[in-house]
Amino acid sequence: MTEPRKFLTIGGIDRREFLAIGGGVFSAAFLAACDSSGPKSAEKLLRYAERKNLGVERALFRHTAIDKVQAGAHDAGNKLPSYFVSPTVPVWDETARGKWALEVSGLVGKPMRLSLDDLQRLPRVSNRVNHYCVEGWTAVETWTGVPFTELAKLVGALPDAHYVDFQSFDDDYHESWDIESAMHPQTVVAYGLDGKMLEPAHGAPARVYSPIKLGYKNTKYLTKIVFLPKMNGGYWSDRGYEWYGGV
Amino acid sequence: MAKKRHHWIVRVTHWVNVVAIIIMVGSGLQIFNAYPAFARKGELFCCYPFEHKPVPAWLTFGGWLAGARNWHFAMMWVLVVNGLIYLAFVYLHGEWRDLVPRKGDIRDSWQMLKFYTFRRKDHPHQGKHNALQKATYFTLPFAGLLAVLTGIAIWKPVQLSWLTALFGGYVWARYWHFIAMVVIVVLSVVHVFMVFAVDPYSLPSMITGNYDEKLSPEARNARPFYHLFPRRARPTPPPEAT
Repeated sequence: MTEPRKFLTIGGIDRREFLAIGGGVFSAAFLAACDSSGPKSAEKLLRYAERKNLGVERALFRHTAIDKVQAGAHDAGNKLPSYFVSPTVPVWDETARGKWALEVSGLVGKPMRLSLDDLQRLPRVSNRVNHYCVEGWTAVETWTGVPFTELAKLVGALPDAHYVDFQSFDDDYHESWDIESAMHPQTVVAYGLDGKMLEPAHGAPARVYSPIKLGYKNTKYLTKIVFLPKMNGGYWSDRGYEWYGGV
Repeated sequence: MAKKRHHWIVRVTHWVNVVAIIIMVGSGLQIFNAYPAFARKGELFCCYPFEHKPVPAWLTFGGWLAGARNWHFAMMWVLVVNGLIYLAFVYLHGEWRDLVPRKGDIRDSWQMLKFYTFRRKDHPHQGKHNALQKATYFTLPFAGLLAVLTGIAIWKPVQLSWLTALFGGYVWARYWHFIAMVVIVVLSVVHVFMVFAVDPYSLPSMITGNYDEKLSPEARNARPFYHLFPRRARPTPPPEAT
């Protein structure tokens, strides 16, 4: 009644062939997965996807989208991690480099050098906002500083300044932004954290801070803000992290 | 006689899904390992027992955080487009009728469990899928939808803050994203186990599309690893395939 072959052949493939093919496919998939970062040929496709995502993200971006801290959320306080790329905490050495000043230049009408006192005399805001780290954690902190829009107004940013580069004295750390993100109402050049002057652990004397960008886009230990016609990459952006890094 | 069981669109989207889900889960776990916890800094999180314990590296894909993020944000489009093609096809072509829950499904699921645990001798009668399969294949698209929506919520917590708020804020949206992944992984692992243990003929059928009903688990009265058990006389002869 039953022919044993029937149980062995399916769709013209016999059991051994089937196991061989299936085994091959599975080990190939397994090997691909174990070669941790995936096939090199995929690099191009991944970069293509990043460019397309950049378009989607910039199209989604609105100045009216404001970060709000959830009711009941606790401040991170001293639980806010400290990150820098130098071997030790970067501290501005006045005896070697003179008094710290922030240079604002590039495509602007009036390039300027602003001391910390100058910055503190400019219009000031304090924003209690989320910090979105690329690693997946968030932290609530209050950042005090000059709204970036005020700074742009002060130096007279030119219409063809489509990008801004935030540069630092933390080795060669810098990150460039699209001008729309820089002009977001919650983007500040911050010199205060949680009601105190910024400490070297978190980017003293001043850093850029905005809840609309991932942490690594918010350059600490600022030295220069340069308005640019083209994007200028960044420390982590040049090392594989997406350039846009907006949330 | 082998009959057509899976339309080519179902077969192609199934295998694209296999690749997309493996890469999404692997890269997602690599991203998770950068901060293998849910708590906001300075807080504790109630509902995850393994806070700050990374998942084993062999489960991860992408090499490092940036690599994994690049894979995750590229593959997400494949997953979404593939899922939409599948759902549109299942809706337009009528296959959804084999998957939607119907009266009696709970009773039938119970009977399947009884059969699998040797408390019932003969395989319950079924259509294309048994009741447990139906429940699985019906649940998976919803788990996928949850994964996609929570994924968008933690990708754009400021620009799309209304969506993030819908899931209880960033921390909770990230948690639901993780839970959706766990549901998808558990159902997929059980699915693959049952394919090999109960219905190995369904594997070639997902490649060629053909399936011989005479070899179905119902016709063979198959429990997991049925072929490893000693053979006994069958209580009732299998119904003839028509």
